[in-house]
Amino acid sequence: MTARRQRTLAGTAAGVALPIDRRGFLGGSAALALSASLPLALFEFAAAKEAGTFTIAHLADAHIQSVRAGEFVRNWDRGLIRAVAEINLLNPPPDFVVFGGDLANFGTRAELDHGAEILSALRPKLRCVMGECDYYLDLGEYWSRLFGPPWYSFDHKGVHFVVLNSVLTYEEWTLHRWPTAEQRMGVMATIDSPDSSPFLVGEPQRAWLASDLMTVNKRTPVVVFSHAPLQQIYRDWNFWTEDAAEVQALLAPFSNVTVIYGHVHQLQYNQIGNIAFHSVVATAYPLPYPQSRAQRQSYLPRLTIPMNRADPFFERDGTGWQFLNLTTGRADIYYNLYNNSPRNVAFDSAAGRPADTSRQGSELHTSIQSPY
Amino acid sequence: MKSAKHVYRLLALLSALLIGALAEADEFTKDDLQRWQAQYLSTVQAGRALWVDGKLGRNGVTCAQCHPNAANTHPETYPKFQKQIGRVVLLWEMINWCLRNPLEGKPLAADDPNMIALQAYISDERRGVPLDPGKH
Amino acid sequence: MTRGSYPWYHSPAERSVRSWLRGNGLSNIKAALWCALAWAASVMAAEAPLGLPPVPIPADNPMSDAKVALGARLFNDKRFSSTGLVSCSNCHAPDKAFTDSPLSTSIGIRNLPGTRNAPTLANAAYFKREFWDGRAASLEDQARRPFVNAVEMGLSDYTPILQIVRSDPQYVAAFRSAFALEPAAVDMLQVRQAIAAFERTLLYADSPFDRWYFGHEPNAMSESAQRGFKVFLEDGRCQSCHTIEETDALFTDNRFHNIGVGINAIRGDLLRLTPELLLAKSRGINVDKAVLADQQIAEFGRFALTETIDDLGAFKTPTLRNVAVTAPYMHDGSLATLRDVVDHYNNGGVTDPADRVSDFLSGGIRPLHLTEQQIVDLIAFMEALTSPQFAALPTASAP
Repeated sequence: MTARRQRTLAGTAAGVALPIDRRGFLGGSAALALSASLPLALFEFAAAKEAGTFTIAHLADAHIQSVRAGEFVRNWDRGLIRAVAEINLLNPPPDFVVFGGDLANFGTRAELDHGAEILSALRPKLRCVMGECDYYLDLGEYWSRLFGPPWYSFDHKGVHFVVLNSVLTYEEWTLHRWPTAEQRMGVMATIDSPDSSPFLVGEPQRAWLASDLMTVNKRTPVVVFSHAPLQQIYRDWNFWTEDAAEVQALLAPFSNVTVIYGHVHQLQYNQIGNIAFHSVVATAYPLPYPQSRAQRQSYLPRLTIPMNRADPFFERDGTGWQFLNLTTGRADIYYNLYNNSPRNVAFDSAAGRPADTSRQGSELHTSIQSPY
Repeated sequence: MKSAKHVYRLLALLSALLIGALAEADEFTKDDLQRWQAQYLSTVQAGRALWVDGKLGRNGVTCAQCHPNAANTHPETYPKFQKQIGRVVLLWEMINWCLRNPLEGKPLAADDPNMIALQAYISDERRGVPLDPGKH
Repeated sequence: MTRGSYPWYHSPAERSVRSWLRGNGLSNIKAALWCALAWAASVMAAEAPLGLPPVPIPADNPMSDAKVALGARLFNDKRFSSTGLVSCSNCHAPDKAFTDSPLSTSIGIRNLPGTRNAPTLANAAYFKREFWDGRAASLEDQARRPFVNAVEMGLSDYTPILQIVRSDPQYVAAFRSAFALEPAAVDMLQVRQAIAAFERTLLYADSPFDRWYFGHEPNAMSESAQRGFKVFLEDGRCQSCHTIEETDALFTDNRFHNIGVGINAIRGDLLRLTPELLLAKSRGINVDKAVLADQQIAEFGRFALTETIDDLGAFKTPTLRNVAVTAPYMHDGSLATLRDVVDHYNNGGVTDPADRVSDFLSGGIRPLHLTEQQIVDLIAFMEALTSPQFAALPTASAP
């Protein structure tokens, strides 16, 4: 763990104010460096002032799925309920919570309402990102009524945040290819469908992004919340952004950029130029890594040490949520993976890219548990 | 010697008969092959259709959600010990575990055409991967 | 030795244990039974009964007759409590399948209540961790804790135990025989090792299920139980955690799961209690004491030890062997009969179906939609897991 911060696993009901001085506390307790357990309640002995302590909780890909009227797939419901309950136990609470897209599975009002109801138990403020499974039934109309504009920006404690709707696609496919909205939604909800269309951010949104970023100082940290990866990883499963290069070019002038994306339901991280990319895991179910597909070549960012293969006999294995620490403006992400090994991926300033804080380094590479 | 000649003649006759018989039994035509391959592929396609069909189970969840393109089904590792079934099983029994559990549905008989189709699709997606039975 | 019977063999170890027991006021018959058990157990320790794998034995504590006999004696010695009235066998009574059935939670010195239901010691040697929340890393580690727990044996430290084992002539001889140690060198390590060695002889299988499944005796298990076995493997989903394998069956996965028992009692207070617990731990509270004394901390389960969110409200999967005779059930003894247990699982992890399911429920727990027939059959199956040695004990299948 870097010297700038130490974590201990103790909490105070009173909040951030410490009743005992730092040395006394560490001396008295069993000294805990970054342990494998969740920082359920943590003190941030930040080098900066305590007011600069800055954490966000992030959960994504709930895939709330209707079975019939009033009944939803229990397994996905439980994943979201659990993540919400655990985030609520964080002490001190995060500054806000982000939901990273795909709240619904087929974009229906019933699914979005049910998901929103579960999310409403979250105590901190919630910000939502659009996913394709939210979007393609009614082109985001109901989602926007529940959660606000599909793309926008805001500033928080010196960081410029951008929320993008990165699951758009070619107009012809969206508006003219499909006889019914349900069919269009069904295709996009099936990630291995040969009839789907690659994600893109699109020219109008890129134009907005360009003008939004014009007023931002180039040294200000920028964090982009997106559902699609804003990279080109694996086209067959839409781990893809068609105009990734153009979007990355808009972010290039900034010295400190982080992209947080969902959709892939697995742990990925990468560095392209000045941009650190971090995926988030799903609360519903994990996805196999692309290289587990025998018939196609695939690309996983080289940096990524994959998470352990999920054991299907444990419904929650490979699902979870994540806790972002943005004290330095760079993301330090703790992945809380149920029934699996938790992971911590942080920006390595010396190397200039994200790294798993305990496993990175060729001699420590952990391969996924498979011959695939 | 006379007896030897007889033996040779007998042998020659037998061989001719045998080769003739074998040649007829083993021969299948290009048409046969094409037809049978098409039948196989239609079963694979039926399996793919089931793969994305929410009616396979009871709750609408499809195989494709967790196993896009049948990834992570690893059919080449069966038979193997599956701890949640408690014994060594074949692929179709594991499919039934998925039908029962994440899909909350009913299992299929081993010779059910749907089960055969599912296995055909899974195997076809894993074409070329060497057998590794027992691997966990 | 035929299974299910106890030949009365008078080994030297057995004779000395018998006379000691008689000296401590036990009747002749009970004493004989005890000794026979110890002997039979030590013989059986050489090979596990039908349905169990070889018992794991740590390299630093090999088995021996002398050690086992010594362990049996220590196990039953009430002098190792502050009142002189409580020994291990109070809560793990051999004539109750090593539990204190029908108590929901055990009571210690001066009838002080705890928070836990005493698990059976039968086959406890197969667990990777001991206690409901896995606080102890081994049988040896577990053995030292109840002595100094305020609501169990109530000693403030181990001095009284060491004083006795170093001076009582029978213990002096026994430790010399078992460990080749003189009294001054005898320490709690040897005490714990002897108790653990004794516990490693408490192997019980050879049930109707074992004879049917592993012994291939087609009529060993009733038809209802056979149907119940199918429920166990399929609709009941029991195999997920109460695992069996091809050649033996432990009926436990040695893992910890939140199945919704007890955690709901503190649900509303979790936000307050969790940081309080973590702060108390950082200030050095004794977790052993807290989980048995504080009703609320008790419900945190393994989380109280590991502080891992996965473990919130999680308890160890117990074995199902002899479950029919070890009522009541769950870590807090809150479910009285097997029917209650099956209903709890059938409801999807709540005892009262109107109750809200715990947010932290283990992923595998869900409503089962079992029919009445399936429930009856499943209970019949669980009854078929009773070893012949306990077959005469009362069962608690249905109210």
